[in-house]
Amino acid sequence: MAGDALLKVDDLKMYFHTRDGVVKAVDGVSYELERGGTLGIVGESGSGKSVHALTMMRLVPMPPGRIEGGDVLFKGRSLIAMSDEEIRHVRGNEIAMIFQDPMTSLNPVYRVGRQIAEPLMVHKGASRAEAWDRAVELLRLVGIPNPETRVRDYPHQFSGGMRQRAMIAMALACDPDIVIADEPTTALDVTIQAQIVELMLELQERTGSAIIMITHDLGVVADVADRVLVMYAGKAVEYGTVDEVYYRPLHPYTWGLLDSIPIHGVSEKSELCPIKGQPPSLIFLPSGCPFHPRCPHAQEICRTTVPTLRVIEGSHSSACHFSGDAGFTREGVACEVSPS
Amino acid sequence: MPLDDDAAINAAREKSGEPAVRHKLEFPTTPLGEVPAGGMPTRTLWGDAWRRLRRNKLALVALGYLAIILVFAVTADLWAKPLFGEFMYVDSTTVMQTRFQAPSAMHWMGTDDFGRDELARVVYGARISLAIGIGATTLAVTLGLLLGGLSGYYGGRVDGVIMRMTDVFLAFPYLLFAILLMSVMGPGFWSLVIAIGILGWTTIARVFRSSVLSVKENEYVDAARAMGASDLRILGRHILPNAMAPIIVYSTMSVGGVILSEAALSFLGLGIQPPTPSWGRMLDESQTYMTTHPSLFIWPGLAIVLTVLAFVLLGDGLRDALDVKMKD
Repeated sequence: MAGDALLKVDDLKMYFHTRDGVVKAVDGVSYELERGGTLGIVGESGSGKSVHALTMMRLVPMPPGRIEGGDVLFKGRSLIAMSDEEIRHVRGNEIAMIFQDPMTSLNPVYRVGRQIAEPLMVHKGASRAEAWDRAVELLRLVGIPNPETRVRDYPHQFSGGMRQRAMIAMALACDPDIVIADEPTTALDVTIQAQIVELMLELQERTGSAIIMITHDLGVVADVADRVLVMYAGKAVEYGTVDEVYYRPLHPYTWGLLDSIPIHGVSEKSELCPIKGQPPSLIFLPSGCPFHPRCPHAQEICRTTVPTLRVIEGSHSSACHFSGDAGFTREGVACEVSPS
Repeated sequence: MPLDDDAAINAAREKSGEPAVRHKLEFPTTPLGEVPAGGMPTRTLWGDAWRRLRRNKLALVALGYLAIILVFAVTADLWAKPLFGEFMYVDSTTVMQTRFQAPSAMHWMGTDDFGRDELARVVYGARISLAIGIGATTLAVTLGLLLGGLSGYYGGRVDGVIMRMTDVFLAFPYLLFAILLMSVMGPGFWSLVIAIGILGWTTIARVFRSSVLSVKENEYVDAARAMGASDLRILGRHILPNAMAPIIVYSTMSVGGVILSEAALSFLGLGIQPPTPSWGRMLDESQTYMTTHPSLFIWPGLAIVLTVLAFVLLGDGLRDALDVKMKD
């Protein structure tokens, strides 16, 4: 059923109009998110993954940003067409966000409890005392020891991992339908990263919230997501279930991403195989497929025609002219290691 | 299918054999209002600040001094006249005997050139000087925070208009503009407050704008917006407390400057009219006798110096007290 999706993003386009030209930060992204589902969005820096989330929440300053097309339907309501008042009631209440850097995401002048309590007071009309009690329970929920006393701490008395836990508690305060996590583990130690991912999964189990996990860490996505969207230069280049994207990737960019992961335990002499070149300027996109200057398989058609995201098999789609062609496989390319 | 109703969804899911969505957080609820063990949930930013301020002895002394001056000034009517006699009007029959008296049990600070008790005039002068100092600063800070806040927060065209406005205000020669305002409004207490306040907001607006500009880039401001906070809430609750420190220091210090401005305007005959005493007026009036009777300017001068110093020390203490990162 088409209307069943909790969130339906349809050809969303967000352009920034700068003095140097139009930056096509998000250029036609579509996907659906089901209740309780987890979507991983991966891509390099500047691929538009964070901007796309901010666009949905209408948090992009406009101008310079402008939504050039597309729509975001949340429970059948358009987030794009909503009034400022309505979207504010969605933010933090029905869709909550967790930011990248827990060190700066908490206001230093307020106690942690007061900040976790704030969404409850803003959206649920909770009294100060009620909200405070909830904050204690939320801190307990996210695994902060002695929440009764820690709730009175200031953010600077928390460690990075604890702050990210507090941010998660704040995001969950109003029991949102969707939690958007924008690189929630990037600023944390590796050991803490695993704990935070673990915690988010555990809480999703308990609350039934859907999660959009934005990250450039393919490992994190493999752990948590059931569907994956790969973004490149503001466009979705591959979309499918986690197994499809990881075990049967279709797009050469995804191949490149997967080949760039250092493999633990392999001979120390084996070289990494990065994607050559830089992501393109979003103002002067290459003609045709935006990935063609870096793509080892590029043909003439890639320079002239923009590929569209099309379904290749089942729910697995790719935006490459050759995806689905017999013989066009990841194994076909050997990693050319440049002599260094 | 309406998605707002979990029960309906779960019923539908059950039919199709999918696991039910559990969509409510279960809280082991603490009874409402019960203070958690060892907790004082109601303590606020200001409560914490007060706790830290109490540890700063110098700021406490300043606060105590200001409190005493304020109490004396407010209650002066009750005791000053019966104790020290008329402080405003001259008894022309006795003036030659009573003028320029040295400090005595009767007149603790002596008497002035008209035979009026100096202490009574200093105490009454505190009323005018403090009221104008605090009043004009409050006006300037209110205007400055409002305009500087809007300017820094919204940026763009709003910022441009407000900042050009401050440029215009800053371009006017201060005293000339004050004289213009005062002559339009006529001399008097409120005219003084308004004239000095209107001229004082520009610096505060600029200082606050720059603090807002740096504070609003913090991720917790984005987080607050993503949490659904309104512009007013973001500006008032999240940006203001983080951008306040320079304003507090600046405004407490500016109280001293305002007291001196009042003296200048009163000297030009535009401020408080004689015989009402203010510290500035008393300084000006003592000029003639500076060499022969220096005590006439020492007393009001001392009052101004001590009061300005107290405001500065208090401002400094407040700045530290409001910084939560200062170690408890």
